[in-house]
Amino acid sequence: MSKPQTIGEMLQEQGVSRRAFLKFTAYLASSMALTPQMAKAMADNLATARRQSVIWLSFQECSGCTESFTRSFSPTLEDLIFNFISLDYNETLMNVSGVAAIEARRKAVEENKGKYILVAEGAIPLDDDGVFSTSAGNTSLAELKELAKDAMAIIAVGSCATFGGIPAALPNPTGAVGIDQIITDKPIINIPGCPPIPEAMTGTIAYILSFGKLPELDHLKRPLIYFGNSIHDRCYRRPFYERGLFAKSFDDEGARKGWCLYEVGCKGPVTYNACATVKWNGGITFPIQSGHGCLGCSEPNFWDKGGFYKPIPAPINTVGKVVAGAAAAGVVAGAVSATIARARKKNAAKNKVKEENQ
Amino acid sequence: MSLPESLTPCTPPLTGMADSVLSEIAERLQVFALSGEETVIDLRSLPMSNADRNDLEVRLGRGEVEIKLYVSGQSDIWETTFAGVWWVRHIDGDGRIAAEEINITSVPDILRAHPDDARAAATRLAGINTKESDDV
Ligand code: SF4
Ligand code: SF4
Repeated sequence: MSKPQTIGEMLQEQGVSRRAFLKFTAYLASSMALTPQMAKAMADNLATARRQSVIWLSFQECSGCTESFTRSFSPTLEDLIFNFISLDYNETLMNVSGVAAIEARRKAVEENKGKYILVAEGAIPLDDDGVFSTSAGNTSLAELKELAKDAMAIIAVGSCATFGGIPAALPNPTGAVGIDQIITDKPIINIPGCPPIPEAMTGTIAYILSFGKLPELDHLKRPLIYFGNSIHDRCYRRPFYERGLFAKSFDDEGARKGWCLYEVGCKGPVTYNACATVKWNGGITFPIQSGHGCLGCSEPNFWDKGGFYKPIPAPINTVGKVVAGAAAAGVVAGAVSATIARARKKNAAKNKVKEENQ
Repeated sequence: MSLPESLTPCTPPLTGMADSVLSEIAERLQVFALSGEETVIDLRSLPMSNADRNDLEVRLGRGEVEIKLYVSGQSDIWETTFAGVWWVRHIDGDGRIAAEEINITSVPDILRAHPDDARAAATRLAGINTKESDDV
């Protein structure tokens, strides 16, 4: 029998049925807030796609993003994503292989010129020609420039690679910056977060594979499929916010009753990320559900904004109001899910205008 | 070992979202009954608490059909007490819920055998037949 060419053929050889594809894409479509109907199209497209070559570089960082990525899914679903991509090089995971790993990277670049996705984790220090971060004798700056040259696109994962992150925290002793401050001639997708939501990383790659194009991005180059809504838009505590019921401290009656955490510093209203729906640790919970406000880790400079427990200055009114109002009345005119999907798009546009005016 | 009460995650309360989703299901079921137009509602992307989802599950109830799929973990699918309204719950390998949908249709899509799978199965079965007749 001839060698399988597509992901569908390859998985069929391994006895993976199309039902498994559908289950996987139902999960992905849900995490992306795509309409559930898109799951079927995604499954069909993935089956006919070829595996995507991915080269993963690590710069000034803590490896938390790799940790997060490798825990994307439960074992059985995780097997699937690793069939869709070919992780040809990952500095952290292949560390012990030394020169053999560098050789594998060279080969992967040669074979996939112009087609591979470069994933960048960590900030790049610019001071003193970048000597503060080196690997195999090369500075991160030189390595990034070299591998960006032949990449189809770059995905910057984590708040360090996107916005400088903790390495760039004041007084930024190494002159650390995000990837898009250096590479300006390639499509760049930013997936911030500290760490980023694993599904946002794998889901973005699966999106590119199944739709053959990059996802739509917001003004900070974040994919709208994951960053189109604020935490506040999708927070289940939102009805308490609307009714003015706030916890005033972490051990008062309001906190015990699950009221809104706005007054104890929640940054949900100004933070765009998918934590409230995709959640963490296999979808079990997210910080607000565990009783702590959002820190705003997917926004630029969250690390230097002066206090995680200080309330943000003014309330923001967005889609949640519509939903909460409808929920309180117990009726909904038209489709709730469609309303939210539409609002997600509108919010992203509004958010863009708002930030541009700042 | 269970955590002391002060350390357990807050139990998300009922927010009223179940009422809203129920109204939407009723509306979409009407449409399906009249025109055959199918709908899928993704419960996980709505701002529902666990209590909301449980409430919805209880109110829709369980009808005549219950199905288990064993594919990349288990999936539980059942028709609710309202014909044409199906609850589809995908569970991953660790036993966690990966996706949860309401399908308004006669049969949820994932239950149908895909033509590619049927083709591969036909080849396999023909192979078994040939082998058995060779063995005789
Ligand atoms: S302020 Fe925070 S806790 Fe309150 S509703 Fe918004 S995101 Fe949820
Ligand atoms: S809830 Fe906020 S701080 Fe926490 S991970 Fe999500 S975006 Fe970051």
